[in-house]
Amino acid sequence: MLTSCSGTADPSARVDAGSGTGTITVWALDGQSAENEAIQKIMDDFEKSNGDITIDMQFIPADQFTTALQTASDEELPDVVEVDGPLIANFAYLNRIAPIDDWVSKDTIENQTAAIKGQNTVDGDLYAVGMMNSGLAMWGNKKLLDAAGVTMPSSAADAWTAEEFSDVLDKLAALDPDGRPFGLAENNGFSTEYGIYAFAPVLWSAGTPLIEDGRASGALDSETAVEAVETWASWRQYTDPDTDGVAFQSGRVALNWMGNWLYPAYKEALGDDLVVGPLPDFGQGAKTGSGTIAWSMGGATKNATAAGALLDYLMSDEVVNEYTSANGAPPATTTALTASALYGDGKPLAYLSAQLNSACPTEDTLKVDCVAVSRPITAGYPVVTAEFGKALSAVWGGADAAESLSAAARAIDRDFVDNDDYK
Amino acid sequence: MTFPTTRSRSGGSRSRPRGGRRSASAAGPLMAAPGLILLTAFLAIPFLGAVVMSFFRIQLGNPRPPRFVGIEQYARLFFDPDISATFLRSLGNNFAFALVVVPLQTALALGLAILINRKLRGMTVFRTLFFMPLVFPLALVAVIWRLIFARDENGLLNGFLGAVSGGAIGPHDWLGDPSTALGAIIVMSIWQSVSFQMIILLGALQSVPPELYEAASIDRAGRWSQFVHVTVPGVRNTLIFVTLLTTIFAFRLFDQVYLLDKSASINIEATQTVMYQVITTGYDQNNIGQGAAMAVVFLIIVAVIALIQRRLIRQEGGVE
Repeated sequence: MLTSCSGTADPSARVDAGSGTGTITVWALDGQSAENEAIQKIMDDFEKSNGDITIDMQFIPADQFTTALQTASDEELPDVVEVDGPLIANFAYLNRIAPIDDWVSKDTIENQTAAIKGQNTVDGDLYAVGMMNSGLAMWGNKKLLDAAGVTMPSSAADAWTAEEFSDVLDKLAALDPDGRPFGLAENNGFSTEYGIYAFAPVLWSAGTPLIEDGRASGALDSETAVEAVETWASWRQYTDPDTDGVAFQSGRVALNWMGNWLYPAYKEALGDDLVVGPLPDFGQGAKTGSGTIAWSMGGATKNATAAGALLDYLMSDEVVNEYTSANGAPPATTTALTASALYGDGKPLAYLSAQLNSACPTEDTLKVDCVAVSRPITAGYPVVTAEFGKALSAVWGGADAAESLSAAARAIDRDFVDNDDYK
Repeated sequence: MTFPTTRSRSGGSRSRPRGGRRSASAAGPLMAAPGLILLTAFLAIPFLGAVVMSFFRIQLGNPRPPRFVGIEQYARLFFDPDISATFLRSLGNNFAFALVVVPLQTALALGLAILINRKLRGMTVFRTLFFMPLVFPLALVAVIWRLIFARDENGLLNGFLGAVSGGAIGPHDWLGDPSTALGAIIVMSIWQSVSFQMIILLGALQSVPPELYEAASIDRAGRWSQFVHVTVPGVRNTLIFVTLLTTIFAFRLFDQVYLLDKSASINIEATQTVMYQVITTGYDQNNIGQGAAMAVVFLIIVAVIALIQRRLIRQEGGVE
């Protein structure tokens, strides 16, 4: 087995193939009840079709999940575990999860979309496979857009430039009763994970990653980044604070910057008036965030064969379809995405799969014509998201972008140096 | 507590042999033991733990061993331009918050306590109403106040001001504007917790003997001079206790800021507090060593303030 290139010990050293039978422990995030039920049913079905494997299923609340995984001893670590995408590199560094390349089938790996593979790969090892993905888009209210003579672009190549977008907002504001025709879910708070997920695309689209060669200085605080963030913050004057979270559904705003997960609510409220298109282009092509919860293997599993069998089963078309229909997310496997009733060719959210299909897929491989990017893949991710979110929040509130971003970059770099660059 | 012990001591030498005295002196430590054990387990040991951790570089959840870094965490807290700026700013916000909240909230609590101490019909309704915010979970309170302070004209406060002024007062960004952000948090905190102090003071008010008021009114003392010369001295000790408690609570300010920051756009620079820094550094960024150093410095500052306060305003008849 290959050791990882970072020079640390073999990440699979504590993993045993096991007998491929017996009991395996599975940890899943305690999410929406529809998702939980879907997961439970999938696990039951797996047990039925694999008589020799029993599953010990545990749902853990999201706020305790990371702590539970961090503090588990080798004996307590689950065999199969659901992990939040951006934390995969961190969990890999902490030896909480193990590479799965050797334990899942080739077909499973090949069927994973490039976007989700990008998120799930650390130092060349695949640590997780995903049933679903996610993506951002600009959602529009056609009635309000038509009234202002604005047409939503339909492909990333035709995206509004940031400048054009400012003009669009200006036009819409003239017709809007309170002059705030734009929403970007301010109620989610920007110092949360939502901040980096939703607005790292601003930097990527301007052409800069958040972290370059293991340092934030020179990337996160570059002139390119500062200008892009300043432009983004200048839209605040047009932005509905959306305290109730229904600004778009209730027709208070004409354009809304949001992820795929609110599509069901938007569709229900707007019906045929709902249009969807790319986020603005800050100079180097429109970008979107991608990535979400994926399935990995415990760092010390003694039954990797059975764990791999379960992962293979989870990624089968039937299961992926069942799960993504339950929560409305875009499937992360090529076959299920193509066949999806929501995201397939010519289907209502085909735009979102077009984005995911042109994946960069990580921020060190940014190009003008790729769209979907995963959040920075680094073991130091917790400090990256915390500092970036804090800076975004401050700039949105009126603080100087250059100052806030360079403070964030210094804090991130200090943490990396303190931790020997997480080597 | 002291009364029976004193008696047994003074009488003990006459009527009891030495053994009795020994068992009496063992009673004190024995009865203090549960409290001392709990204080040691939940206060002293964690604090010592924080002191030890503050000399190390510890990453939460990291299986690699902590590294000893001496006083580096403290040096950064005061000399690193980024960390010290944030820390000192947070400390400043804490002091500003306490300076406004302690006198205001104590005075308001006393006022409310006097109001609801009257024997009128339906007073329990008022008591319940005043007390209610305290039993609301803070997460809920934050959601409510987020709606009140919302920066557009749909915000309750902006809507109200707009309506009463006939549109003359435009919408204001209460939480986002650095000049009003801390004020907004202050209003919310006082609303939420003033009833706690009110209840304590109400208890004290009810123990002021009514004869004193009767005597005062026979002496033709007016309402104000009854308040100054009977009520205030009557509840003096409780008032001091309440002030001390409010001060400590004020320095502990965390939930309101944290929750609002997670759900709305608030100006974090103007509202961040030391507790907020400790928690976000320790648990959001996993930097336990730095968080511990902040906690240690902060505890020393708060302890010094509490000691100074006790020096300045001594309780009467209490244990010194």
